[in-house]
Amino acid sequence: MSPAESHVPTAEEQEQHLRTLENSWRHPGGITGWLSFTTHQAIGMRYIVTAFVFLVVGGILALMMRFQLAQPNNTFLGPDRYNQFFTTHGTTMMFLFAVPMMEGMGIYLVPLMVGTRNVAFPRLNAFGYWMYLAGAIFLYVGVFQNAAPDVGWFAYTPLSGPEFSPGKRPDFWAQMITFTEVSAMCVAAELIATIFKMRAPGMSLNRIPLFCWSMLVQSFMVIFAMPSVMIASSFVLSDRTVATNFVNPAEGGDPLLFQHVFWFFGHPEVYIIFIPALGMVSSIVVANSRRHIFGYTAMVLSLIATGFIGFGLWVHHMFATGLPQIAAGYFTAASMMIAITSGVQIFCWIATLWSGRLRLNTALHFVFGFIAIFVLGGLSGVLLGSVPLDLQVHDTFFVVAHFHYVLIGGALFPLFGGFYHWYPKMTGRLMNEAVGKLNFWVLFIGFNLTFFPMHILGLKGMPRRIYTYSPEMGWGPANLLATVGACIIALGGIIFIANVVWSRRAGKVAGNNPWDAPSLEWAAASPPKNYNFEYLPVVTSRYALWTPPDERVIVTGLRSNRREVLATTLMDAQPDHRYVLPPPSIWPLLTAIAVTIGFAGSVFNEWYITWGSILSGIALIGWFWPRRPLELKP
Amino acid sequence: MSGKHQSLNIAALCFAALTLTSCAGRQQSVVNPAGPQSGQIATLWWFFLALLSAIFIIVMVLTALTLTRRHRGIEQEPLEATHLPPPQTEAGLTRVVTAATILSIVILFVLLVTSIITGKNLSELQDRKNPMVIEVTGQQWWWQIRYQNSDPQQVLVTANEIHIPVGRPVMIRGTSHDVIHSFWVPNLHGKRDLIPSRVTTEWIQADRPGVYRGQCAEFCGLQHAHMSLWVVAEPPDKFKTWFDGQLKPSAAPGTAVLQRGQQVFMNHACIFCHAIRGTSASGQNAPDLTHFASRRGIAANTLPNTMGNLGGWITNPQNIKPGNHMATIAMNPPDLQPLLQYLESLK
Amino acid sequence: MTAARTLDVSELPPFRISIQAPLWWGQVCLIAIEATMFSILIAAYFYTRLRVDVWPPPGDQFPNVLLPSLALIPLILSAFGSYWASEAAKKDDRRGMILGLGLNLVLAIIFFVMRIIEWHSLNFNWMADAFGSYVWAFLGLHSFDFIAGLVETIVFVVFVASGRYGERERLGIHVDSLVWYFVVAIWIPLYIVTYWGPRLVETAQ
Repeated sequence: MSPAESHVPTAEEQEQHLRTLENSWRHPGGITGWLSFTTHQAIGMRYIVTAFVFLVVGGILALMMRFQLAQPNNTFLGPDRYNQFFTTHGTTMMFLFAVPMMEGMGIYLVPLMVGTRNVAFPRLNAFGYWMYLAGAIFLYVGVFQNAAPDVGWFAYTPLSGPEFSPGKRPDFWAQMITFTEVSAMCVAAELIATIFKMRAPGMSLNRIPLFCWSMLVQSFMVIFAMPSVMIASSFVLSDRTVATNFVNPAEGGDPLLFQHVFWFFGHPEVYIIFIPALGMVSSIVVANSRRHIFGYTAMVLSLIATGFIGFGLWVHHMFATGLPQIAAGYFTAASMMIAITSGVQIFCWIATLWSGRLRLNTALHFVFGFIAIFVLGGLSGVLLGSVPLDLQVHDTFFVVAHFHYVLIGGALFPLFGGFYHWYPKMTGRLMNEAVGKLNFWVLFIGFNLTFFPMHILGLKGMPRRIYTYSPEMGWGPANLLATVGACIIALGGIIFIANVVWSRRAGKVAGNNPWDAPSLEWAAASPPKNYNFEYLPVVTSRYALWTPPDERVIVTGLRSNRREVLATTLMDAQPDHRYVLPPPSIWPLLTAIAVTIGFAGSVFNEWYITWGSILSGIALIGWFWPRRPLELKP
Repeated sequence: MSGKHQSLNIAALCFAALTLTSCAGRQQSVVNPAGPQSGQIATLWWFFLALLSAIFIIVMVLTALTLTRRHRGIEQEPLEATHLPPPQTEAGLTRVVTAATILSIVILFVLLVTSIITGKNLSELQDRKNPMVIEVTGQQWWWQIRYQNSDPQQVLVTANEIHIPVGRPVMIRGTSHDVIHSFWVPNLHGKRDLIPSRVTTEWIQADRPGVYRGQCAEFCGLQHAHMSLWVVAEPPDKFKTWFDGQLKPSAAPGTAVLQRGQQVFMNHACIFCHAIRGTSASGQNAPDLTHFASRRGIAANTLPNTMGNLGGWITNPQNIKPGNHMATIAMNPPDLQPLLQYLESLK
Repeated sequence: MTAARTLDVSELPPFRISIQAPLWWGQVCLIAIEATMFSILIAAYFYTRLRVDVWPPPGDQFPNVLLPSLALIPLILSAFGSYWASEAAKKDDRRGMILGLGLNLVLAIIFFVMRIIEWHSLNFNWMADAFGSYVWAFLGLHSFDFIAGLVETIVFVVFVASGRYGERERLGIHVDSLVWYFVVAIWIPLYIVTYWGPRLVETAQ
């Protein structure tokens, strides 16, 4: 594909182009305007900030739990409070922090990385955020009404069923899941459409950044895994509210069915959280090793393989339920096999770091921390994959240690590295590096102090989800140590927030590309303009900004007087047609309100499903009402 | 920097090994096996720990070495110009990464095979000819125990404490009366869930006498934390003595105080839930009290079985185990002492 | 931006009514989500069914096959209406769009009337037992998607008939046909499982 022979725009043409672009992409003003934003940077930032708030909330709940467990026979939290706290902690971290945060980073970064101006469906993007926020508020309204769920984040039946959990607590849990899954599915659909169809010309699939590959794999996983949890939570909700018999043992329902359907989602869920983090690690490693990633193809195939194999592991959460030996053997093999795909990635990163010119900034510190913590967590996971061993340590603090190692090590540390890496892009200023390194060490030490002793506690017989224990068990000292560690983690969180706030105003001005990184987001301004790039880029290699400047090509011919982007072909990103995006709109919010009325109301009265559907139908008609001009000018 | 990483993590491993093998808290410990099942699993655990630790150390060393490399200033020019090291370096790295991947596959395969072999060994530790079968039914928040026997006179119903003869395989047939619980006695074997509407089975065996603590390992509601049990392994003759004693109906109250105590029991709501064989109390919703005083703990081992604890429990069960299903029974103070004496006489 | 060369895309059309449109891909993703949901529900049905001996449980009648089988005819034919409208949308053939969508609408309504009649003949509801819960879940969820598709069709008919349409609405009609194909296609396995399932798997009758 060779560029047309048209001329490079003159300075006046560029200025004219810029003015109209600024105008078409301007944010609408006022409160209604703010509620109508559809740019991906704004929506992405909303996800990131909201998810961070819930990280803090979940962290506070954890700290309370740790205070209770610090001493045997402690009376800081009684059993009811403790059960609500650990359930809400897990639910908040999994559904209201981890997945939305990764999605927020994806929404923010993917259009920049693929060289376009917005996601494929800007209004759907806004709608997805409002649904997430509504679900979060819905759950916490319940929490503050003494109706926080108290049956564990996975809410096994029949404990979560109508007979053993009267009242509304698991209903809040189940319906919050519906909200957040709708949100996740919207994001998945739009990221796939964006990555497939809106890449810069020349960015064939084998040239997209590994972070985009990770968001692509994650989005497909969301599509095939999230329906499962919708069904699981709906089984529970409808058994509780309209007396169906899906998972109720009394009338032929089966508690194990719930477990299968839940974990068919639950296992891919952790990869849904973890795979975007792997993409972030690649971005940080490449930028700070100043070399191409080692083994791009192997990395892509590993990501895809992890996605696929992740769907075949779920029964390893159920080894204690009395499975046939063959099934147990298969799931052990699969659980161990996935260690290979992750292992390949670790080896490739180490190879890249080994042969690069390292810049040991805070982001890279977090990558090293990720390697240490995640590898330990992955190895304890291999151990859990063995049925005989799992039968001993399942449902003990050993498992709590394992999943915090893989989730905090595998997702949170890369995320924090990502914050330090992309903060200059998002705000225009660098975070303080000295404070950043302190931040890293405080978190690293605090984390290990908190969770390493839990491996030992599990081996010493301490089960999960107990609100207290007696002194003769000998679990006191390790628990106290873990609580001290938790306080240190909290300190690390405070240091991070302080750094974020301070650097906003006093951080060093960053410029477009402070790290001399190769991917396209670093070509945009810091922070990016609403339209991202004045002229969309054309790429000729995998590392666009490491291509010499005189080889760079830009796209001309897109209208700047409307929100127009370029749609390209799937494999090779050949330009196919111009694609006009809608202007800002209040309809996504109105639709979200209508759907919320349906979802939230139906927990109390099934008729709300009907009212909500009718209202949502009306809102959608408003959303899709034909816009003027009906015929697009060419 | 990563030298620190490395030594931190190795220190942690040593700490782990020390605390695991320390004397304190060997009760309910996975690495203190008292039978063939838990013994096999503990062996597997040490094997896995050794191999996985070795992998961890190697990966950490390699990671740490990436930091030292930058000081050796190798091949900076090609890297600065093209962001790619020379082809020989890439080729070398490819060889190493490939070797590491193959090595990982081999190690994982070894772990898989040892795991499956252990599983197979465990499944063969059974006694099909003359099995001793104990039904365990999980309840919120206690354990109903029933020794099966084809002869109805030899069927024993008790609660919260199991006795088994040393050296004999015992099959635990588990189910639940309400929500999912999990039967777990780590000194003897891994756990098995107790699931309503299903029956799960597990073979346990103690090879030395001892008192082994177990605890419910599946979150089952408010008092999941206080649902534990004792498994007492005794030489076969002592076991028989215990068993025959348990089969007998309850001791008739000999003194006036004990008779008064029995009367108090019969006149209060106790009889709606509890059973004492040999009396008219035959409630099925709560632990069988026929030989209550022979047990080590009360309220599923929430507290040791002493007169004082029992008094506190009966007066206000919600204070000790909030949310549990035992009602607080209004009792006149003069009634309490005889009742306690009576119950503690039910050996 | 420092660039030496340009790629001029002004000759490209500002829309494309085909698989090249991002909207087509987004719609396929949403359809995949719905299809996965139904697949898991069907799997759950069989998991439950295979745990018991008698199915349907005592007291529940076998659902009557005649009416639902006849109803397949208008349902499948309605997909042709949708296809016709979709092709007309590509060619900006207003008459074709109205006729195609209209045919789709009429046949869909006939199907739905037949379904509602059949509902009244079932002697069990979702509260009766597990079988009842599944049958009503299949019928309810499919009907929900069906009605959503129906409302979309009605809205498009109104837009096209009143002249209130352009390329974006035509793309919408094209992509909406995917939704309709899904609604028809997913009913086939659901129909087989609901009405033939109990007959195909051995029961103690």
